[in-house]
Amino acid sequence: MPDDDVLSFGEHGSEDAFDRRELLKKSGRLAAAGAVAGPLLMSAGEALAAGSAAVTDPIAATAVAQAKQYKGITLTTIRETGPQAADDKLFGGPRWKALTGINVETIEGAMNEVYTKQVAEHVAKSGKIDVVEALGGWIPDFADRGVIVPIDSYIAKYKAQATIKDIHPAYRSLAQYKGKTYGFFDDGDAWMLYYRKDVFANGKLRAAYRAKYGKSLQVPRTWDEMTQVSQFITDQMAPKIYGQGHARALGNPGNYFYFMQAFRSFGGQFFNPTTMAATINGPAGVKAMNVILKELKASPPGSEKFDFLTMWTTWLQGKTAMLYTWPPTGRISENYAQRDKAFSFLPKSKIVGKVGYAVVPGKNGWFNAVVRCVSADSENQDAAYLFTQWDTSPSVSLQRVMLPYSLRDPYRISHFKSKKYGSLWPAAPQYLKGLNNAANTGVVELVMTGAADYSTALDRAMTAMYSGKDVQGTLDDLAKEWDAITKRTGVDTARASYANFLKLTGSTKRTTAEAKGIDVKI
Amino acid sequence: MVWPAVSLVLLLSVFPLVFSLWVLFVEYDFSVSNDHPWVGLDNFNDNLIDPVWWNSVKVTAILALSAVAVEFILGLLLALAMLRPFRGRRILMVLVVIPLFISPVVVGGFWDLFLRQPIGPANQIATWVLPGGPVTTNFTEDGLWPYISVVMADAWQWTPFMFVVMLAGLSAIPNDVYEAAEIDGAKPRQSFFFVTLPLLLPIMLVAITFRLIDAVKLFDIIYTLTRGGPGTQTYTTSYYLYYQGFERFHLGQGTAGAWMFMIVLSVISFWLVRRLLKPVEA
Repeated sequence: MPDDDVLSFGEHGSEDAFDRRELLKKSGRLAAAGAVAGPLLMSAGEALAAGSAAVTDPIAATAVAQAKQYKGITLTTIRETGPQAADDKLFGGPRWKALTGINVETIEGAMNEVYTKQVAEHVAKSGKIDVVEALGGWIPDFADRGVIVPIDSYIAKYKAQATIKDIHPAYRSLAQYKGKTYGFFDDGDAWMLYYRKDVFANGKLRAAYRAKYGKSLQVPRTWDEMTQVSQFITDQMAPKIYGQGHARALGNPGNYFYFMQAFRSFGGQFFNPTTMAATINGPAGVKAMNVILKELKASPPGSEKFDFLTMWTTWLQGKTAMLYTWPPTGRISENYAQRDKAFSFLPKSKIVGKVGYAVVPGKNGWFNAVVRCVSADSENQDAAYLFTQWDTSPSVSLQRVMLPYSLRDPYRISHFKSKKYGSLWPAAPQYLKGLNNAANTGVVELVMTGAADYSTALDRAMTAMYSGKDVQGTLDDLAKEWDAITKRTGVDTARASYANFLKLTGSTKRTTAEAKGIDVKI
Repeated sequence: MVWPAVSLVLLLSVFPLVFSLWVLFVEYDFSVSNDHPWVGLDNFNDNLIDPVWWNSVKVTAILALSAVAVEFILGLLLALAMLRPFRGRRILMVLVVIPLFISPVVVGGFWDLFLRQPIGPANQIATWVLPGGPVTTNFTEDGLWPYISVVMADAWQWTPFMFVVMLAGLSAIPNDVYEAAEIDGAKPRQSFFFVTLPLLLPIMLVAITFRLIDAVKLFDIIYTLTRGGPGTQTYTTSYYLYYQGFERFHLGQGTAGAWMFMIVLSVISFWLVRRLLKPVEA
């Protein structure tokens, strides 16, 4: 049995294919393995290297074996409403209960509410949430305010070091803060450029492009090419097909990532690391914003108010030629996700087999972290930790990133190399390779104290510019707002936090995994 | 016998109020510290130096006055139109009053779907109705349209309130007053301006006062229709305080802003009630 199959519960992990008898058989096998595993456990690294034994994932097996002592308790997780929550409610929760007897309940909320709910519960010291969901940018505040606990001692106790070594180098340090590990990385949210191969192969379009620009039509590699090609496609094919069409609605979930990736590919730095004065209003900021405004002109009418649902619906209906965004785009484009009723909120794709993958123009696409952490207020911290260890272990996480309805995407080297994942649709191997390359060259979200405030202020400023406000003036005002946020946090605290951020892989274009020479070749 | 009720009142209203008085003067900010040192008037100052706060005050005033003015005029016109019996009047009245019973969050969501490009029908309807080329306005983004959209949504919901109050007031005016005016040779227009309006004035002022006090707290429609955007263009003070307190957890600043807002509102309400209800006392 290949290592991919460890803890597999039905074809593609689909609920439709869920087989209770198979589950019980495998649960029993796993439990037996776990019981044996305890004292005789080989090192996790050795186990991963060994590859293909019958039950070869000691990370998952250990967690299951140790968690049985907590049988009967209930762990509460929190997830974004919809597919994110379905991951726990339909997959992780039921399976964890079958394996350990521990119940899992999941609270749902919009992504911004996931943040506010967790902070509110912590401020109230309710102890209601056991497993905290954190974006990378939240971790400094969550760690400093004592919302989450470091898990290094648990990792050592349960010999789970190898689970971290398997994570792509770009993502590996995102659960670290001030030298401690605050959770397990759980979602490879790297942006790629998705483009319509049929549009770029269109003979008439190619001829018209050559006639106008004297060169052949190619998938854009720079931001200038992106704006030019998008506008050209829109001019030639709209309203049938627009060059691009992204979600630009205020706060849903926001716009700051568009700016932050382009800004850094133009060499921008968010702050002066010494004075901590905001430098977002410099030439790189103006250039990035002007690119985004040009992109808007090449987009369908009303895209200033597109949320992600509208953006993906427009894409799946074949009305846009390019999209740079989060990974589910690859799966939904091939109708892989929509096979499950939990994903019925999106229409069936009309572009199956027509989508190509490339690195985001400017080379430095956005990526962010989703980290599963243990709540400092939990009364069941050990069990909560074991659940996260199991849920994010190489074998179980592979199952989860292959779930049609889940919004979890490949982030482990073993995911990118998975033959099973690569067989999900014809172009899946290219998709995995693309995601790996995106992580190699990507720039990370802002991970520092006050990141949520900085991001929200940027989001608001961007939508103000969409409605016609002057770019330089608005960015100057934004810089003042950022300075006020820094002052509120305390300049020294912010400086230390920003210095910590600059050490992260992907904090700037000069520190990507590729630039550091730690990229992964597939 | 009364102590459980008294305890409940103390727990649910007095304690939070007293607690908020403490929060006013300490640092209670999730993004800064777990400690709560004394900061004096800094929380008030954080609002006062924030241009978004001042913009939200201005937006609140503009939106509240505009919405109430529109609601008043439309409500009065509707009441005049519905004063005399006609076929289908009852059904029409029920239809007109329905928005009053809908949650403001739903109203905001409904108008968002109606106005949003490309899925909302607003542009298509405008294209059919208006001369010239196709209408492609982004009603929650372009120019002054975000304000107009919020006023439209609010007026759609609250015009029925004005209508009901005005209709009650008009119905209460005795017929003999009009008969006397007619005998004196007053034409319908003169009857309206010199009989109806003066007699309706007290009820108008009450309705406007109640609506104004409510409209300055505008939040739900903003939350669902514009999210305060574009930028901070449609941040009302209530939305601003929600954002500071419950999205960013700057609880000290949010609490100080809420107290300032409450004090200003109390003064205005007191003045309005005193001033506008004077004719009733007379």
